[in-house]
Order: sequence, then C-alpha cells, then structure tokens
Amino acid sequence: MANRTDPAAKSIHGTNPQNLVEKILRSKIYQNTYWKEQCFGLTAETLVDKAMELDHLGGTYGGSRKPTPFMCLILKMLQIQPDKEIVVEFIKNDEYKYVRVLGAFYMRLTGSVTDVYRYLEPLYNDYRKLRLKLSEGKFCLTHVDEVIDELLTKDYSCDIALPRVQKRWTLEACGLLEPRRSALEDDFEEEEEKEEEEQAMDSVEDDTHEKNYYRGRSPIRERDRDRRRDRQYRDRDYERDYGRGRERDRDRDRDRDRERDRDKDRDRDRDRERDRHRLRDDRDYGRERERERDREGRERERRDRERGRRRSRSRSRSRDRRDRDHEDGDHRKRRTRGSVSPRRRPEDDGSTRDEPKKKKEKKEKKSDGTDHPDPEIAEANRLRASLGLKPLK
Amino acid sequence: MIEVVLNDRLGKKVRVKCNEDDTIGDLKKLVAAQTGTRADKIRIQKWYTVFKDHITLKDYEIHDGMGLELYYN
Repeated sequence: MANRTDPAAKSIHGTNPQNLVEKILRSKIYQNTYWKEQCFGLTAETLVDKAMELDHLGGTYGGSRKPTPFMCLILKMLQIQPDKEIVVEFIKNDEYKYVRVLGAFYMRLTGSVTDVYRYLEPLYNDYRKLRLKLSEGKFCLTHVDEVIDELLTKDYSCDIALPRVQKRWTLEACGLLEPRRSALEDDFEEEEEKEEEEQAMDSVEDDTHEKNYYRGRSPIRERDRDRRRDRQYRDRDYERDYGRGRERDRDRDRDRDRERDRDKDRDRDRDRERDRHRLRDDRDYGRERERERDREGRERERRDRERGRRRSRSRSRSRDRRDRDHEDGDHRKRRTRGSVSPRRRPEDDGSTRDEPKKKKEKKEKKSDGTDHPDPEIAEANRLRASLGLKPLK
Repeated sequence: MIEVVLNDRLGKKVRVKCNEDDTIGDLKKLVAAQTGTRADKIRIQKWYTVFKDHITLKDYEIHDGMGLELYYN
C-alpha cells in the first residue's frame, strides 16, 4: 500500500514510473529504514522539507548495497509524481543545492529531451561543491556542474540507469534547440583572436622553414601544424588573396564545433577537415586536390593514432612507414614543379625510419599477450587489456 | 592461469580465465564483460561468504575449476 505508485500518476517512458529504478534496487529501498520512517505519507510540500535536510548524493554503498536518502527521495518523487512546475522550482531554487540536484535528477529521469537540455544546461554555471558517497562508503568531493555533465553525457548515475537522450547536435539539426552559448564564450573569443595574430606572424616565417615541417612532430601543436602544412601546398598568390577569409571561416567553424561536442575531439577535427576540403574544392586544382585530400586523410589517421591508446603500436608503425613512403613519392613529384628545397627529406626520413622499426620489435616482445599463439588466450588477453588488467600467465 | 566457473542458478553459467593474483574486483569485471551485466551489480559468494573486491583469488584460496555462486546486488 505504501509502496504503490499514486493511481493518478501518468506512465513515464511507457512504464510505471517506479520501474525506472530497477527491481533489486527498488526492493532495497523499500526495506530501508529511512524510507519506512521518513518517507511514509510524504506529499509534494513535505517532500521539500525532507529534501532540504539532504546533505549528500550517492547511489548504494557498503557490502549490502544500502541506498542513500537521496535515492529514497528520488523513488518517492517517482511514486507521487509532482507537477512539472514544482520540479522546475526545485531546479531554479538557488539556496539549497541538494534540492536543485534532486530536481535535476528527477527531470533527467522523467522529462522530455528538450526539457532535459533546457533546464539542466543553465546548471552548468553552478560551481558549488557537493558531497558524494562512494560505493565503499567513503565520501568524496564533486561539484554541481560535474554532476550535471554526468547526467547529460553518461547513461548511468547513482546506480540508476538513465533513459536515453539524443545528442545535442541532433536536436539542433532538428531545430528543437538553439546552439549552445557558453558563459565562457567571450573568454574563448579573446583567445581565438590572440591565436590568429600568432598565425599571421608565423606565416611570414613559414616559407623559410619548410624543412622543419618534415622533421618536426611533437613540439608543434596539432592545429598549428595543420594550418602550416595547408599553407605550404597552396599557391602563394592564392594564399595572399584568400588566406584571411578562410581563417575567419575556420575560426567560426571551430567555435561552433567546440560548443557542439566538447567531449568529441575527433569529431571536431573531422568537421574542420571537411570544411577545409569544401573550401578548397571551390577552386580547380585537379590532381593536387586529390593528393591533398589523401594527405589530409593520412594526417588525420596519424593524428588519431597518436591520440588513440588502444591501437597496437606495431600496426600503426607499419602504416606510418607506408604513409611516409607514399609521401616521399608525392613530394618528389611536387618538387619537379620547380620548388627550390634541397634533397634533405629522404635522408631525414631514413634516420627516423630506423627508430620506429626498432621500437616495433621491442613492442612486440614486451606485448600484452595479444599475440599469443593460442587464439583463446589471445582473445582473453585482448579483453583483459581493454579492461586494464595484466595478461594471463 | 586458472579457470573459474560462476553459476547463478537461473541459467547463467560462465567460465572465466584469470590469474591467481587477480582481485575479486577484476574477476567481476571479466564476468561483466562476458555476461553483460554491470560489474558493480555482481556479487560473488560461496555459501554465505560474500567475497570482497580488494582481495586476490589466491588469498581466498580459489583454485582452478572451482565453482562460485553469482548473485546480483
């Protein structure tokens, strides 16, 4: 009787709202003393009082998976199903941060996708500290905006599986949401302007530093490196005319992309590459265009590889060598067009190519067991490596 | 390397290859990868002894081929 959902309540996501919390966890909450004593006969008003007394967040803790009062109140809210206005009031209230997070969590569980983004995103600007109870029973520090980020990006929080929400850019594409305006946007724009100025300075030195491009790898920042490479392969006159405009486009694209996918670096870079390709396609460059595209694709691979930790080094090294072979040929073709650079490039590559070979051999011997002769064991070792465990003995 | 059998008596029976010096927490991750449940939802027991996450299989004297009980939190 006390555990049944309010008969007037609507079904959420096609099911009894209490079913959003899974069965085992729900039974644990029903047996909990806090639920039995404090959460009996609560209404929306008295719930607010209980929520104000909260002093920590969390899921279940301890050996017997005891639920926190936060979880009990969430289940109570699912049971009585307060109106949307009340939940929005919880979120808007500034004084009690735990009430705010409680409201945000409930909204995330029950609200529609647009509501979720609309009401939770302003909470990104709240930097207050929160106490989080870990599954061992200890407390740790977190912040309101971290919790909101977790709610919006992950699909599991506080031992409850969160309903799926679409990605923000899907909703923007449908026109249901506006592009995100960050509170830090002004700061970013200042940074962008500073970088633009730096680039303007660098482009003057670029022509004299062609050699450095081929040799240099890590010291140069990725974005700078790409921009420098682009500029070298373009006609000098052309660059003078269109360089400025394109930089501005790129900056604008970059701003948009950054706001869109904060977590997905790779997507952002790919967008930038695509834009750059599109702009370049507008002119007739024929063979050079294709070559550049191949090169960009390979650069992207190399960049992904440098960032990607999961791919085995041996594989990437061979591809790296192949890329460099191809590039060597291409570069030689380019040189016949009449550029003046000396034939230092093949020698440079020769010395650097020896190192990766040596490293590759070392890597295979030291391996994490994924090349074990027995396929079952190799499979098991691959799984262990992905989980972060040492290989089987 | 030892192989442990975990049975939840409701249809899930998994054989997991692991090292003796793996902890129970690691074993739970391997089981989770194989069964599809989340690692923190799994509880491994032997009769009424609930195995703790930070202790190794060797310390619990879990040998090759031993059967363990799989429960859920």
